[in-house]
Amino acid sequence: MRSFLRFEVRRALSSPVNLVFLAGFPVLLYLLWTKLLDLASGPVSMVSMATYGAMGGALFIGGAIALERSGGWLRQLAVTPLPAHGYIVAKLAGGMLAVLPSVVIVLAAGALLGGVRLPPATWLALPPLIWAGVVPFAALGVAFGYSLKGQSANIAMMVVYFVTAVLGGLWLPVSRMPEGLRTLAEYSPAYQAGSLGWRALDGLPPTATSVLVLAGWTALFVLLGVWRYRSAGWR
Amino acid sequence: MLELTGLTKKYGALTALDGVSLRVGEGEKVALLGPNGAGKTTLLSIALGLLAPDSGAARLLGRPPREALAAGRVGVLLQDAGLPDDVRVGDLVAAVAGMYPTPSILADPELEALAGRRVAGLSGGQRQLVRFALALAGDPRLLILDEPTVGLDVDARRALWRRVRDRTVVFATHYLAEADDHADRVVLLAGGRVVADGPVEEIKALVGGTEVRLTLDTMDEPGLRALPGVHDVVVEGATAVLRTGDSDATLRALFAGFGDARNVRTSGADLESAFVSLTGKGA
Repeated sequence: MRSFLRFEVRRALSSPVNLVFLAGFPVLLYLLWTKLLDLASGPVSMVSMATYGAMGGALFIGGAIALERSGGWLRQLAVTPLPAHGYIVAKLAGGMLAVLPSVVIVLAAGALLGGVRLPPATWLALPPLIWAGVVPFAALGVAFGYSLKGQSANIAMMVVYFVTAVLGGLWLPVSRMPEGLRTLAEYSPAYQAGSLGWRALDGLPPTATSVLVLAGWTALFVLLGVWRYRSAGWR
Repeated sequence: MLELTGLTKKYGALTALDGVSLRVGEGEKVALLGPNGAGKTTLLSIALGLLAPDSGAARLLGRPPREALAAGRVGVLLQDAGLPDDVRVGDLVAAVAGMYPTPSILADPELEALAGRRVAGLSGGQRQLVRFALALAGDPRLLILDEPTVGLDVDARRALWRRVRDRTVVFATHYLAEADDHADRVVLLAGGRVVADGPVEEIKALVGGTEVRLTLDTMDEPGLRALPGVHDVVVEGATAVLRTGDSDATLRALFAGFGDARNVRTSGADLESAFVSLTGKGA
């Protein structure tokens, strides 16, 4: 169990795909928004993009599970002493750890390329806040990973990823959305994940609403994930 | 070591297993022999708790299969198991060995040469070697192998069998020769039933050997049956089909004793035709 956990953590941290996907792409978007299009303020966009990348990392833990289910690796693990929940725990641990460096890279790009200046305490607070904010997406990813197999899971998640990120105001601020959509957006997990970091920019702690909304989504997605996992098992 | 009682399993209208019982004791080497679709993989999947039977029960090392696997003294090589592509062979084998109470990493020069390679770049035979190493990673008391030598060349096959020599092994195969060489007991499965179960020689007599086909003007079935090596005779009119374990001796005696034997033809009795004769229908 512990050897498998170590194996998964190493695997997640050494994946170059992860780094390009979770850090490279958000950094490019950040530069696009702030430098080329001048649509968003530097610090806010930096936090949005770090959250966006982290969200993808959490969500696509499920993509890895879906691929391993279809590739037959789970059948092999099923005949080892590893318990089925041990597999999920290792996947979550590896995947969520791999999110951290990507967050730091996007923030570093903000500081070095975007000229964002913040008090040291804020720099330190941002990574854990952003990281904690995307926890519901890890649970959602697992639910997806046990619902679909192979590439179809990744395609479905790509759509969910994009829609929730845009709806949550990570690409363009919610304040630019029409009134009705804005209310909906404010209860979305991506918006509340982003708001943890946005408020930190102003030196403010997370609101009770943020915590409740994120906890609510997490609980819902965990239930969904447990249900899907129960019906799939080792398959 | 392995105990199956009254297993049945249906997939829709298809009966994959139809009341199969099997006991395997310590130290036995049992080949589960049958043509494709005989129910071998279904049987092993139920024995491993990967599949629930419609009725009947399976026990491994005296306990329910999932518990026995969790305890880590069973090594398994599945036919359809995959490996993650992005990892190095050495890391993979070490990670799996670490799950077992008695980790053991196969000391094999070929495997060691692969340790630094990523799984993605391996050939089919190399992958099978890695899967085999994973099956042995817990120094198992009982090995369960489903078509273990598929995709392996002759040397790799020999090496694989050398490594399982001292263990209790249950393996599925559709090659009679493999069962002959590496099992001391053969369980013949066809159409979801055990049609024969016994020492290799006994099964070979049933399914192996050579078929001799001939025409006699005056049919003498008891006389044919008494020829050396012959263990089965089927007569259709003037034609007789002998099944023999020693075709040379049979033919010599045939020509010496039956001057009127004509149209003598011999052919190797293959497994498929043997199944037809054993089960009375296509397997």
